[in-house]
Amino acid sequence: MSVIEIKNLVKIYNGSAVQVTAVNGVDLTIEEGEFTAIVGPSGSGKTTLLNMIGGLDSPTSGTIVVDNTDLSTLNKKQLVDYRLHNIGFVFQAYNLIPVLTAKENVSFIMELQGTKKDILTQRTKNILENVGLGDRLNSRPNQLSGGQQQRVAVARALASKPKFVIADEPTANLDSKSTENLLDIMEELNRKENITFIFSTHDQRVVKKARRVIVLEDGKIVKDERRK
Amino acid sequence: MKDIIKIAWRNLWRNKRRTLITASSIFFALFFAIFMRSFQLGTYGYMIEQSIESYTGYLQIQNPDYFDDPTIDNSFNISDEMIDRVKNHENIKAVAPRVETFALASTGTNSKGVMVSGIDPVAEAEVSNPEHRVVKYRFTEEAIKQLKNDNALPPEINKKIETFKYNSYSSTAKIELDLDFENSDAEKYIPVIEKYCRFESNYLSPNDDGVLIADRLSRYLKISVGDSLILMGQGYHGVSAAGIYPVRGIIKMASPDLDNKIIYMSLPQINNFLGLNNQITSMVINLRDKDEMFETQNELKKIIGNDKYVVKNWEEISPTLKQQIQSDNVSGQVFIFILYVIVFFGIFGTVIMMVAERKREFGVMVAIGMKRKKLSMILSAEMLFLSILGVLAGIIVTIPVLLYGHYYPLELTGNMARMMEDMGFDPIMPLALFEPYFFMQILIVFIMIILACLVPVRSIQKLDAIKAIHA
Repeated sequence: MSVIEIKNLVKIYNGSAVQVTAVNGVDLTIEEGEFTAIVGPSGSGKTTLLNMIGGLDSPTSGTIVVDNTDLSTLNKKQLVDYRLHNIGFVFQAYNLIPVLTAKENVSFIMELQGTKKDILTQRTKNILENVGLGDRLNSRPNQLSGGQQQRVAVARALASKPKFVIADEPTANLDSKSTENLLDIMEELNRKENITFIFSTHDQRVVKKARRVIVLEDGKIVKDERRK
Repeated sequence: MKDIIKIAWRNLWRNKRRTLITASSIFFALFFAIFMRSFQLGTYGYMIEQSIESYTGYLQIQNPDYFDDPTIDNSFNISDEMIDRVKNHENIKAVAPRVETFALASTGTNSKGVMVSGIDPVAEAEVSNPEHRVVKYRFTEEAIKQLKNDNALPPEINKKIETFKYNSYSSTAKIELDLDFENSDAEKYIPVIEKYCRFESNYLSPNDDGVLIADRLSRYLKISVGDSLILMGQGYHGVSAAGIYPVRGIIKMASPDLDNKIIYMSLPQINNFLGLNNQITSMVINLRDKDEMFETQNELKKIIGNDKYVVKNWEEISPTLKQQIQSDNVSGQVFIFILYVIVFFGIFGTVIMMVAERKREFGVMVAIGMKRKKLSMILSAEMLFLSILGVLAGIIVTIPVLLYGHYYPLELTGNMARMMEDMGFDPIMPLALFEPYFFMQILIVFIMIILACLVPVRSIQKLDAIKAIHA
């Protein structure tokens, strides 16, 4: 079953002097439970594509349909709701809320969704245990290592029960051990709970783990490889 | 809501030093604004109290035509029953009948236009208390010469006394102030000064046929106690009024203007002088609670209940004093406005900084699904907490200062004190207590916070999450 259907997607940035086509006629379908890596050189359009899938940016032309909803029909406020209920984000620089503990960072997103307190508390604990941080529930981001922070970010992304998780260069700031650890956790979540992951990455360790690799160049898909 | 408050409160302490500096600027702005305003209003209140209670009174009952045409022909009779009704009002402290007219005063060699005020000496003691201002000491030329000959005072004190030649005093306290006496000096030298400078001056009795003359006027007319004064003027309905009156005493008036022109005489005497039939030109009223003046004025209008009399308040009777206070008030307000503008930009800078350095964080929050409205509420709550911190600290420190300054007013010294004494005021500057101005300053601080939040809140509403995340 497809989660995301993209048809003839184009994104053109109008700079002061030149026009840049960041995404140039992309057609793509992401199926439920896929573990997909989008790779390509810098400027190939990976992040732009993810931003448009995530409803953070709007395409110049083409359509993105998520679970039968065409994102171009949503206004600014509806897009915020769309992101809240459908997408989990993992950023390169973790981007946790510094004044909240690991537990609060994870439960925060559920509070925004209006989840009941008892459910929220239990789910927060379970998710953080799943990412191996059951003993760091009350630590603030500055008390955690980079790898731990990124695991909290993954937990936060999963907290809202999203249809898919977008991870933009999630391992770029991590050492090899932390990267390995994070990838194992995400892979396990993908296998056990059938969560759909879409990465943009340069990291070959991520590419190796991915079961689908899409290569972008100059805004176009030049290779789309599925692995077993 | 709980999560908004939690995040806002914790955000506030992310940069403790900045929070404390900003809260301190709010604290100092509030403290100085309240303190300055309290000083101003306390001083105005005191000046009004002193100047109004020393002559005009807070309210006056008059003939309706007297205000526009203040002549003796617009005098009126008031019944004892009406006076009792007025006196029975709970806010009335004292009432005193008065007849005021103008005449030419002459001592043979000198003459001057004067204001003659006919009073009931007993009732007037309850209203303006002129007896309290009867001159008791004077540095006359003869007294100064005797002090020098006696050699009881050190030469420097004699020299100082010389500079206050012809000055009159109703108490030794002002002499001590003028001569810069310490307590020990006062004990030693005041008895000597009293010996040579004591001045025989009396207050009026109820049916007195003499007059009290203001200090500066007496010096102009070169007249003293026991001398005779000729008054000439126009009496009731155009009859000529003239009489010769012995001077019973010299009185030092609070207002320099009155001190240059007023002569007091008893009501029976002024009736004879002007050919009146027990009419008066005004019934002067002092109040217990001055803040209730306008309400009392309206209630007295109802009590009097007819258009034969009008009730005027001091602002209508002495518009000049009102205008002086208003103009000084405006200058004080301008100063406070400047203070607030400076503090506003300090707060505004802090908010802008808070938003700028957390732009990425805001971008992430919007990206993961936080509504911009909620984000704005977090920022506003942070500023609200910040202002509550500053305002609370301001209130906690200001209240004891105001209470102390109100009950133990600042005592002026030197030239400033002399100037106040010359104007007939005690040289003190009290602070006003918790009047509406106090709460107004607090309100202004909160309005400043709201204004300071407008721009950042607007920038959050327009926030581009992608740009913010990559900022």
